[in-house]
Amino acid sequence: MRLRMLATAAAVLTVAATAACGGSADESGAVTLKLGFYAAAGDPADTTMRELVKEFTAANPSIKVQLEVAPYVKFFEKLRTEIAGGQAPQVWLSDGVLVQEFAARGALADLTDRVKTVNAADYSGIELNRDAKGRIYGFPQGAQTPVLFYNKKLFAEAKVDAPTADWTYDDLAAAAKKLTKDTNNDGKPDTYGFRAYSPGFTESWWPIIKAFGGDIVTDGNRKVVVDSPQSKAALDWMLGAMGKDGFAPDYATTEGLGKGVVHTLFATGRVAMSYGIYARTLPAASAGVDFGVAPMPKGPAGRGNVAIVNSWVVSKSASPAQADAAWKWITFFSGEGPQRKWAELGEAIPINKKVAATALPADRRQAFLDSLDAATDLGVNAVWSEYTEALSKRISEALSGASPVDTALATGQKEAQEVIDRFYAGQTQ
Amino acid sequence: MTVLTRKAGKVAADPRPSSGRRHAGERAWAFAFASPYLLHLVALAAWPLLASLFFSMTDYDLVSPPKFVGFGNFTRLFGDEVFWRTLGNTAYFAVLFVPTQTVLALGLAIALNQRLRGMALFRAAYFVPVVSSWVVVAYVADAVFNPQTGLANQVLGFLGLPSENWLQDPALVIPTLAAVAVWKGVGYMMVLFLAGLQAIPEERYEAAKIDGASAWNRFRYITLPGISGTTFLVLVLTSIETLQSFEQVFVMTDGGPHGASELTVLHLYRQGFQFFQMGYASAIAWVLFVLVLALTLVQFRLQRRWVHYA
Repeated sequence: MRLRMLATAAAVLTVAATAACGGSADESGAVTLKLGFYAAAGDPADTTMRELVKEFTAANPSIKVQLEVAPYVKFFEKLRTEIAGGQAPQVWLSDGVLVQEFAARGALADLTDRVKTVNAADYSGIELNRDAKGRIYGFPQGAQTPVLFYNKKLFAEAKVDAPTADWTYDDLAAAAKKLTKDTNNDGKPDTYGFRAYSPGFTESWWPIIKAFGGDIVTDGNRKVVVDSPQSKAALDWMLGAMGKDGFAPDYATTEGLGKGVVHTLFATGRVAMSYGIYARTLPAASAGVDFGVAPMPKGPAGRGNVAIVNSWVVSKSASPAQADAAWKWITFFSGEGPQRKWAELGEAIPINKKVAATALPADRRQAFLDSLDAATDLGVNAVWSEYTEALSKRISEALSGASPVDTALATGQKEAQEVIDRFYAGQTQ
Repeated sequence: MTVLTRKAGKVAADPRPSSGRRHAGERAWAFAFASPYLLHLVALAAWPLLASLFFSMTDYDLVSPPKFVGFGNFTRLFGDEVFWRTLGNTAYFAVLFVPTQTVLALGLAIALNQRLRGMALFRAAYFVPVVSSWVVVAYVADAVFNPQTGLANQVLGFLGLPSENWLQDPALVIPTLAAVAVWKGVGYMMVLFLAGLQAIPEERYEAAKIDGASAWNRFRYITLPGISGTTFLVLVLTSIETLQSFEQVFVMTDGGPHGASELTVLHLYRQGFQFFQMGYASAIAWVLFVLVLALTLVQFRLQRRWVHYA
């Protein structure tokens, strides 16, 4: 009896172990691919992705796809523990800014050679994924870049001409002042001309500092150089907008709106202009706002365009068969049909240039595509989350008036550099 | 001797197993019944504890195998300004939260320890926030402390006072969080105090009344000593809870504005789950554990002076 139980247990364990290691193709050549992506439950992106996976498996019957979906924060939290436990998906959708974080720690397969097999000129954002050593660990899935959103109705009411590609920061300020209104005479504007501060710095201080001639990181994104007179001029301009000029909601007012609401300031008509990535077109359109987009204004050093390219990445622990299947999925997703379907969601700029040239709404297309073409990356490196967190804290201190701009920039630079040095110098963690 | 012999004879004739064997059998059953819990303890408490102790002495990014670094993480931790700042924030939060919640819970328990109609309803009402999730509480808190639309600023406006940025002002954020935490947790401590109050014999109050003791003296010399054990329990539980606070700040402020409400466990979470530094996060966890243990031991030591178990 005991022997039979032992034999059964051994058999169960063997089957379980075999199932757990089922990475390679079986005798029939079938391979199972665990595919992870982030989306809120019931989100249209979730539905579309599932439909695309169905199409993919129908076209590739030898590939079986297991989906792993979770909201953004949960997804990446779970992913880290799955990697530690050897249970990570073989291919997953990564926030563009996290690709190098995972790659630098050895979690991702090097896709450089595979990328060489596609015509790079057909896709946007490939170069933004190249690391300091010239290697590529992610293939673009969708791109985001900020442009200037403006509310046509509020512009017409204030008799202000729509923004043009020639606008400077002075033009922006002049228009924003005219657009700022206190309709109920309580001493506080009900509509502001522009949103200067946002906790999402891609749509706030990062491009503004660059437009004013400053920079955040250089030398392969390993040297923090934010402490400069140009950065100070940029932050002073923002402080003026929120303070003496009064055409932008101040730090406390913006933060007081809550995490989710900050990004709907434009959609709810509280601000007439705002920097926004492509994903912001969705809430504005859903709210019925009649809006247009224009290039960000020119500063002393240009427009400061930046972009984030969310990308498909392949796990380093994927078997050769799984890595091949993952690459098949990536090339399938980048194709015209799937890209067109994904573009219907309106949440990202398609990375397939042919699709982007036709699927984006005509009145918004050029501003986004030009911005994407001119964009630099968002200072991505192996410790992006940590060093930008350190820097953001100090810059938000300056923008809230809690500390002088000079001090905040100097301290922020020092603390962010310490984070970068700690990793790259190979010290304890 | 006779008695002994008779007893021995009786034992020999007893068909039941000997006391030793019986105890061995009982022990086996006891282990069998306790085994699910013991397994749980080993797998989900002891093993992770030991693993985290090991990780605290490694450079572990969750991707590559851990590399032993000795006390490197602890050395770094003592020079980590952010860690000390978060510890300061946690201590400030504790100083505001622990006494306020304890005093309020006791006051509520005394007020609700009456034999009046509908009292159960009031007790339940104070307990509702305890069983609500922090996400729900965060929404309620926003309705009160939102700088534009919140009730708190409306009240200040009514009194002719200027509005405040409750959760956006570094000077106000921790007191505001402490107030919300008290609102959420006071019901649970109130129930503990209610149990303590109801365990004090009624005769003591009657005797004191006959002796002419005032209400204050009855509270001072009967109630307070009578619930000192409960007060001690409340203080220990609340102190531990405070040092482990995470969910509230994660949901309500994410440590902002600019780190002013970043508590130690949020710092630990970020290091481990966002910044790939599980070794360093484990070191923070162990330092925090030692601090909690030390604080609890001090509380146990001091209780001898003021806690009466009658």
